[in-house]
Amino acid sequence: MRNTCFILLILLTLPLGLFAQSGIPEAVEVTAPGNRLLKLAIDAPRPLDPGSTVDSAKEISDVLVFDMNMSGIASAESRDQLPLPGGTKIADTDFMPWMTGGYDLLIRSEYSIKGDDLTVEFRMFDVLNRKLMTTKRYLGRKNELRRFTHSFADEVLLVITGEKGCFTSKIAYVSTQTGNKEIYVMDWDGHNPLLLTRNGSINMNPDFSPDGRDIIFTSYKRGNPDLYRRALSNTAEIALSNRKGLNITGTWSPDGSMIALALSKDGDAEIYTLAKDGGNPVRLSVSHALEVYPTWSPDGKQIAFVSDRLGKPQIFVMNADGGNVRRLTTSGSYNVNPRWSPKGDRIAYSRSQGGFQIYSIRADGTGDTQLTSEGNNENPSWSPDGRFITFSSKRGNGQGVYIMRADGSGQISISQGKGSYFQPAWSRN
Amino acid sequence: MYNLYVLIMKFQAKSLTNGTKETTMKSKILCLLTALSLAVLVTGGCANKEVIKSEEAVVPKAAPAVVEVAKPAPVEPVPVAPVAQVAPVAPVVQPVENQSAKASAPELSFEAVYFDYDKSDLRQDARDVLSKNAEILLKSKPDAKIQIEGNCDDRGSAEYNLALGERRAKAAMQYLVTLGVKADRLSTISYGKEKPAVQGSDEAAWSKNRRDEFVLK
Repeated sequence: MRNTCFILLILLTLPLGLFAQSGIPEAVEVTAPGNRLLKLAIDAPRPLDPGSTVDSAKEISDVLVFDMNMSGIASAESRDQLPLPGGTKIADTDFMPWMTGGYDLLIRSEYSIKGDDLTVEFRMFDVLNRKLMTTKRYLGRKNELRRFTHSFADEVLLVITGEKGCFTSKIAYVSTQTGNKEIYVMDWDGHNPLLLTRNGSINMNPDFSPDGRDIIFTSYKRGNPDLYRRALSNTAEIALSNRKGLNITGTWSPDGSMIALALSKDGDAEIYTLAKDGGNPVRLSVSHALEVYPTWSPDGKQIAFVSDRLGKPQIFVMNADGGNVRRLTTSGSYNVNPRWSPKGDRIAYSRSQGGFQIYSIRADGTGDTQLTSEGNNENPSWSPDGRFITFSSKRGNGQGVYIMRADGSGQISISQGKGSYFQPAWSRN
Repeated sequence: MYNLYVLIMKFQAKSLTNGTKETTMKSKILCLLTALSLAVLVTGGCANKEVIKSEEAVVPKAAPAVVEVAKPAPVEPVPVAPVAQVAPVAPVVQPVENQSAKASAPELSFEAVYFDYDKSDLRQDARDVLSKNAEILLKSKPDAKIQIEGNCDDRGSAEYNLALGERRAKAAMQYLVTLGVKADRLSTISYGKEKPAVQGSDEAAWSKNRRDEFVLK
C-alpha cells in the first residue's frame, strides 16, 4: 500500500507592463546657443460644415502640437480660445493678436467631412511679416486625417529648415501583447498599432525595406530561427533564409538590392550578405569569434557590426566587401546594437554598464556621446531624416518603445497597451 | 537376495581358510550367486531414483511470474510494458506499477548542463553530466536522436545571446561526440535569452538559465 504520488507545480509569472501614454511633450530648448525656439501657434481648426465634428479639430491640433514640439525647432501651442473670425485666407487673418502674443508662426486650417470623404486645408503664416509661407490641401478618406496632418508638419519643417520632416513614417516593433513575441507596426507617434505576424512563435528584429513596402524579421515558427519577408499589404510570410543554424539580425542595404545578416551555417555566427530574394550568400567576416547585428552606411559602402573577437562584444566597421576591418568603439566593455544614421555622420548603439544606455559616436570613432541615463535602453533605430532615434526602454514597471531627438533630448514613451515592447525599427521613408 | 550374497561370501571365506577339494566346488557356486545378487541390487536402486526426479519437474510456474511484476524497473527500459503484461491482475498491481514507473524516469532522462556568465566552456560538473547523458545515449537509448538547446541569462543583448547560446549548445555536442555518440544523432538550436527556465533578476535565477537542455527528437 505504498502509494506515494509526487506532484510538481511550476508557476511562471510574466510581468505585464502597464504603460500610460505620456501625452504631449513639453517644449525643450534647443541646445545650440544663439538659437531660440520659434513660437508657433496652432489656431483651432475650423469645420466647414455642420457634419464635421469637434473631435477632428482636436485631432488636427494634437498632431501638429506633438510633431512640432518634438521637432526641436519650435515650441507649439494650440490656441483654441483665441476668438478670431474669418476664414484661412490671408486677407481674413488678423495678425495683430498673434503678434501681441509673441508668436513667430501661425498655422490655420479648415476641414470638411461628408460621410467618408475628407477635405482639409492648412496654411502657415510668418506672423511678423504677415506672409503666407506655405499652403496644402488634402482630399481623401476620413481615416486619413492624422496622416494628412503629419504630412503638413513634414512640409512645415521643409520650409523652415530646408529638410522635410519624417512625421508620416512608421515604426515596426516586437510586442508580447498576445502572449508571445509578434511583430507590429505603428505610426511614428505610437498611434494606429497594427499586428503583422500571428504565428504564435518567437518573432524578433524587424527591419524595413527602403521603399517601406516590406519588412524582414526572424521567426522560430518552423522550429529554427529563420529569416522571413512579408509585405505590409499581404499576410504571406516568405522564408528568405532558412539555412542551418542562425539566420538573424537581417537588415536591408540602402539601395534595396541586398540583405546583410548573421548566419552560422558554416560554424558560428558570421556576417553575410544575401541577394534580396535570399540567395547567393557571400561571407564578409572571417574570425573564430561571434559576429552579429550588421548595419549599412547610407552610401552602401561600409558595414558596422558586433564582434566579440576581443573577448566581449564591441562594434567594428568594414568595407561592404568585408575588407579593412577596424574597431569603432573604444570605451565601455560591452557595446552592441549599432545603427548607422541616414545622414551618415553618426552611429547609435547600446552599451551595457550595469543596465544598457544608448550612445552615439561619429563614424570615425570620435565624439562618443551618452544619450540616455535612466532605465535599461536598447536597440536604437534612426528616423529617415536622422532627426530622431527610437529605442526600447525599461523604466519603472514597464518595457516600452520610446522616441527622442538625436541629441538625447525629448525622451517620451509612444507604445500603448499591455505587454512588453522590444527592438523597434524605423521605416526609411 | 542380499542374504544369499552374504551366505555365499561366508562360504567363500570358509573354503579359503579350509582349503579342501570339496569346498572349491561350493565356492564357485557362491561366486555366481554373488554376481547375480549384485546385479539385482543395482537395477532396483536406479529405478527408485528416476521416479523422484520426475516428481520435482512438475512444480508450477505461477510463482516466478508474480516476482517479475514487482521487479521490472531495473530491467525494462519502457515502463509501460509491465502494465500491459499484468492487465488482468490490474487492481492489485497498479500501485506497484506507479512506483516502478517513477523509479525508472529519473534514471533515463537527460540532465541539463550549466555555464558561467558570458562563457561557453564546460566546467567539470558539466562534463560529469554530459558523461551521464552519453551513457544513456550509448546504452539505454541507442537509437534516440536529441536536440541540444543552448540558453543564456537575461542580462546581455538578445541578439548576441542567440550566438552565445549556440556556442554553448555546440560545446556540449562536441563533447558528446568525443565520448562516442555519433554526430548524426545530435543537433543544436539556440534560444538565446528567449526561454528562461527561471524568472528573476538575481544570480540564483541567472545561473539556472545559463544552460543547455537535451530534448528527444
